[in-house]
Amino acid sequence: MAKGFYTDTTVCIGCKACQVACHQWNGLPAEEPGERELTGDSYDNTGTLSALNWRHVKFIEQIPEDRHQNGFLDGSRWLMMSDVCKHCVHAGCLEVCPTGAIIRTEFDSVFIQTDVCNGCRACLAACPFGVVDIGSDGKAHKCTLCYDRLQHGMEPACAQACPTDSIRFGEVSELMALAEQRAADLGAHGIQAQIYGKDDIVGGLNCFYLLVDKPEVYGLPAKPELPSSNVAAALGGSAATAALLAITGAVSFRKRRMDDMSRDESAPEDEP
Amino acid sequence: MSPPLMALQWAVNPGSGVPLPPRWGWYVILYFFVGGLAAGCYAIAAALDLAGEPRDRDTVRTGYLLALPGLLICTLLLIIDLGRPERFWHMLIKSKHVPALLLKYWSPISLGSWILAVFGLFAFVAFVGAVVDAGRLRWRAAERAVAGVRRLPSGVRVAWLALGILAGCALGGYTGVLLVGTTRPVWYNAIPLGGLFLASAASTSYALLLLLLLRRGRAAADPALVKLSDADGWALLIELALVVLLLLMLGAVARPIVSGVYGALFWIGVVIVGLVLPLLLHVRHSERSAFAGLRGRAVLVLIGGLVLRFVVVMAPQWPRVPPWHL
Ligand code: SF4
Ligand code: SF4
Repeated sequence: MAKGFYTDTTVCIGCKACQVACHQWNGLPAEEPGERELTGDSYDNTGTLSALNWRHVKFIEQIPEDRHQNGFLDGSRWLMMSDVCKHCVHAGCLEVCPTGAIIRTEFDSVFIQTDVCNGCRACLAACPFGVVDIGSDGKAHKCTLCYDRLQHGMEPACAQACPTDSIRFGEVSELMALAEQRAADLGAHGIQAQIYGKDDIVGGLNCFYLLVDKPEVYGLPAKPELPSSNVAAALGGSAATAALLAITGAVSFRKRRMDDMSRDESAPEDEP
Repeated sequence: MSPPLMALQWAVNPGSGVPLPPRWGWYVILYFFVGGLAAGCYAIAAALDLAGEPRDRDTVRTGYLLALPGLLICTLLLIIDLGRPERFWHMLIKSKHVPALLLKYWSPISLGSWILAVFGLFAFVAFVGAVVDAGRLRWRAAERAVAGVRRLPSGVRVAWLALGILAGCALGGYTGVLLVGTTRPVWYNAIPLGGLFLASAASTSYALLLLLLLRRGRAAADPALVKLSDADGWALLIELALVVLLLLMLGAVARPIVSGVYGALFWIGVVIVGLVLPLLLHVRHSERSAFAGLRGRAVLVLIGGLVLRFVVVMAPQWPRVPPWHL
């Protein structure tokens, strides 16, 4: 019974209610103490997912080169998307975490036990989506899929707050069926929409998206990777190198010995 | 049909989408460097110990004496690098189910923690043996333990040393694999990195042993040194080949490493200073059979090894992590 989010970007209005609800429920402060930095990037003022922002609404302004092409701003789009941890079926962060701080819960979500995490930061480099971040407390933080709320039969705060139902919470298979239907409906109206997060994306994302442009446009990797994919090959390479070093080492060490031995053997002959 | 969107100018928010740099800095760089030295010195000493030539005893003892302090420095560096240093033991023990042990062999960091622990055992035994050997430790129990070990059948000793060499190779090479075991571009693609770090661990360790033996007044033509220098030449050659292989495999992805300021450091510090120059010096040395700056060569190799780790760790984290990040 995998639970997750279906984020339909086509109905997102960029109100950031999800970000606010997330901050409130999880007791996340607005920012680290210090200077307030404005990104100057559309309506975005948090910039990225981070240790303090577990939801991040992205604003993507698409404006034609020639704004007067077919009437003012015709053909322009303003895409919005509320990003979050994908609670991957094959989660890179969970794979590498050496302390066992990152676990899979009974809801199939990926949860960081902050009382176990020791801040090694392996998960930061392992998540293909750049989701996990280290906080000023030296521990890793990200969306918990409101584990505490789920345990009490409630839905995550962001999904509850979203006024347009752009964020929906539920059983992943049911959500996927909804998304398929929505994509088909949009297609019938001439709008191309595709689901990001089926099995082809690192084995499936429990929190997936409906997009109307290429994933890269939304800052999502087209072909995310798992941290372990190249590890076996790298280990093999190391073993081969070790063998080469052992052979060349043995040759160098032995050669001397042979040379010495031949010198020793020839030595008596030099003596009268 | 919606208006053609092909010619649209779009701005992607600089939000998520790229794996974040883990903010590993100088603690990690130095750990990689010192870890390579500890592992290499031990493995070389153990190999010479196995060969058992009397004239190498000095080399063996030096290697054994270096391994444990090196390992302790590594452990310290790793611990202070943690966001929560007091929880370092969570790497080995399930903190919620003490004393259950935790090993995720598919996670290079978890595996590496165990490699460090196991290697520590070998390094400790070797250290005690070397200290007692040198007559520095006048502690009955230790002396008796060492004497007891000497009486063991030689098969046991050989197996022990062979396992120790394996542990050393694991420590020298896994640090490179650790970087491959991420999704960060460049690291993720750098499959030969484990081998490269291992070869560099070997070459820098030979260099360090040579330096120390030279300092102790050994002549450069001393067979004990010449064999180290020969083996160092081989290790450098393997390292150079792996650098070439790495660049070929990375292709365009190699850019952060080979261009800009990091690129300059890579070409000058790693390739020229650390590999090509020492190799040239080595060839000249054997041809003329005259001693040509063995000491200088060793220093160059050590510098190259450190710069290699600096560039490989920091360049792919630029610009979010500045080069001086601890
Ligand atoms: S999106 Fe990243 S942080 Fe979230 S589960 Fe997947 S790998 Fe882990
Ligand atoms: S930083 Fe914490 S959660 Fe992330 S891998 Fe390390 S121990 Fe696990």
